[in-house]
Amino acid sequence: MAPAVVSGFRKKRRAEKKLHLTREEEQIYDGEFGWANQVCMKILVRLGELFNATRLIPISSAHISGVSYKTLGDAPIEFLKNMADADGKAKVKATLNPQSFSPEYLGKKLPKNIREKQFTILEQFERMGFTCSLTCTPYYLHRPEAGSHLAWAESSAVVYANSVLGAWTNREGGPSALAAAIIGKTPDYGMHMAGNREPTILVNVEKPLQNETEFGALGIHLGKILGNKIPLINGLKNASEDSLKQLGAALATTGMTNMFRRDASSEKRGIEKVSVEAEDIKRTIEGLSTAARHEPDLVFIGCPHCSLDEIRHIAGHVEGKKVKQRTECWVCTSRHNMEKAADYVKTIERTGAHVLADMCTIVSWTETLGIRTIMTNSAKTAYYAPTLNKAATILAPREECLKTAFKG
Amino acid sequence: MTGLTLKGRGIVEGHCKAEALVSSKPISFLGGVDPADGKIIEKNHDLYGECIKDKILCFPHGHGSTVGSYVLYSLAKRNSAPKAILNQTADPVVVVGAIIANIPMVTQVDIDQINTGDLVEVDGSSGCVRVSKKEKS
Repeated sequence: MAPAVVSGFRKKRRAEKKLHLTREEEQIYDGEFGWANQVCMKILVRLGELFNATRLIPISSAHISGVSYKTLGDAPIEFLKNMADADGKAKVKATLNPQSFSPEYLGKKLPKNIREKQFTILEQFERMGFTCSLTCTPYYLHRPEAGSHLAWAESSAVVYANSVLGAWTNREGGPSALAAAIIGKTPDYGMHMAGNREPTILVNVEKPLQNETEFGALGIHLGKILGNKIPLINGLKNASEDSLKQLGAALATTGMTNMFRRDASSEKRGIEKVSVEAEDIKRTIEGLSTAARHEPDLVFIGCPHCSLDEIRHIAGHVEGKKVKQRTECWVCTSRHNMEKAADYVKTIERTGAHVLADMCTIVSWTETLGIRTIMTNSAKTAYYAPTLNKAATILAPREECLKTAFKG
Repeated sequence: MTGLTLKGRGIVEGHCKAEALVSSKPISFLGGVDPADGKIIEKNHDLYGECIKDKILCFPHGHGSTVGSYVLYSLAKRNSAPKAILNQTADPVVVVGAIIANIPMVTQVDIDQINTGDLVEVDGSSGCVRVSKKEKS
């Protein structure tokens, strides 16, 4: 009898493996719920086995990277299409990372072919029930509860979720986050285990950090020296969430660390210590400023995407002013925040600056637009721009960026 | 012909036999391999210009963007994928790519024992790899 053979095979296979599956998970694995579910379950099981997980655990949301046509190219379109055709459907709240242009502004400057390919990608995700949030800050749409398990790709959001929001997630890749969204589960390993979330190194920041750019510089510096150790960083008690966002994004840029701690209560005796001097921060910022002249073609704020607070601050700073001629000024955020802050957005746009939704500047077509020098307050952008945008960089705090972009 | 048997850890099931293409360098499928025909396009790679189609592709491990997984899927759809993948260490990019593209894969294989041109038989379930060495001329 066919079913007996199948179950016999199944038992044999499972007996060799340490990852336990429930009956329903086994059925999905064996293809009883269709190809899309089966291939996603296989991804989760094989990755779980690789990292010695013993089970799958439910997640409350997934966030998917690998959305922009510029980075994806044609390769995944077919896969996504086949998944959607095979009735792949997200079982949990699932959001998407940004694409490579804002439809209202940059999209109009790009060839039709690129816009169409991007549209095809989004269409497949939509068919599978994903929210086309197109942001690297999904936590502004739905703030996950502390202690909830997630499967998020987008390294800056992963560090933010673990460190600032107290949610639990590994740093997923695009395909593994997609699989987790469709199954609604993730293998239980890494950052999902309490024992792996304890700090293993104590970081003393010798001089209080002055602005968000210095927080970013701290992240770049620490990422290079920490490996995958979890730091307990002294002196972050009163830091704003926006500054911590810069720290986390930068930390994930240069390192494999997925979390930092800032609560003195988590301090353990006898762990390794390292101190960061004012000179380390200064040198890091200088190293990330490669431009010979202080004349940016683009002044850019919004990596990671701006919070409502940041949009409000920018609006307050630029109200009634005008952007300098031959200078582009971009403020990137999620469409969600752009709509929520509609009045501030109008204030900013009246100055000649652009508030852009749905896009990531680092993976956008800045080179095609003739942008050779980028000034930004984001250490992550300054780190990537020389290679990804082939641009020289000026890294400086937001206030200084705006001063440079505006007259008077 | 002399032969040897290597034991690895089976990741993706499937059985096949083909000629080996061996690299001592990690491969990034995104940007490193042409998704249309399976040619290695990463300059400075020791397999630059070689075609991975229908080969038993042996390399230490993958690296680079997770989009690389989708490149393996595209290759399979165009019949330009390797017949099997043998790695020293498994990394998520290649594992996920092999799963979605349904390419037999074994890791923890001592690929130093295999030379380009050897005839290799792979069992992706048991992780068993049989190598028939190419005759030295």
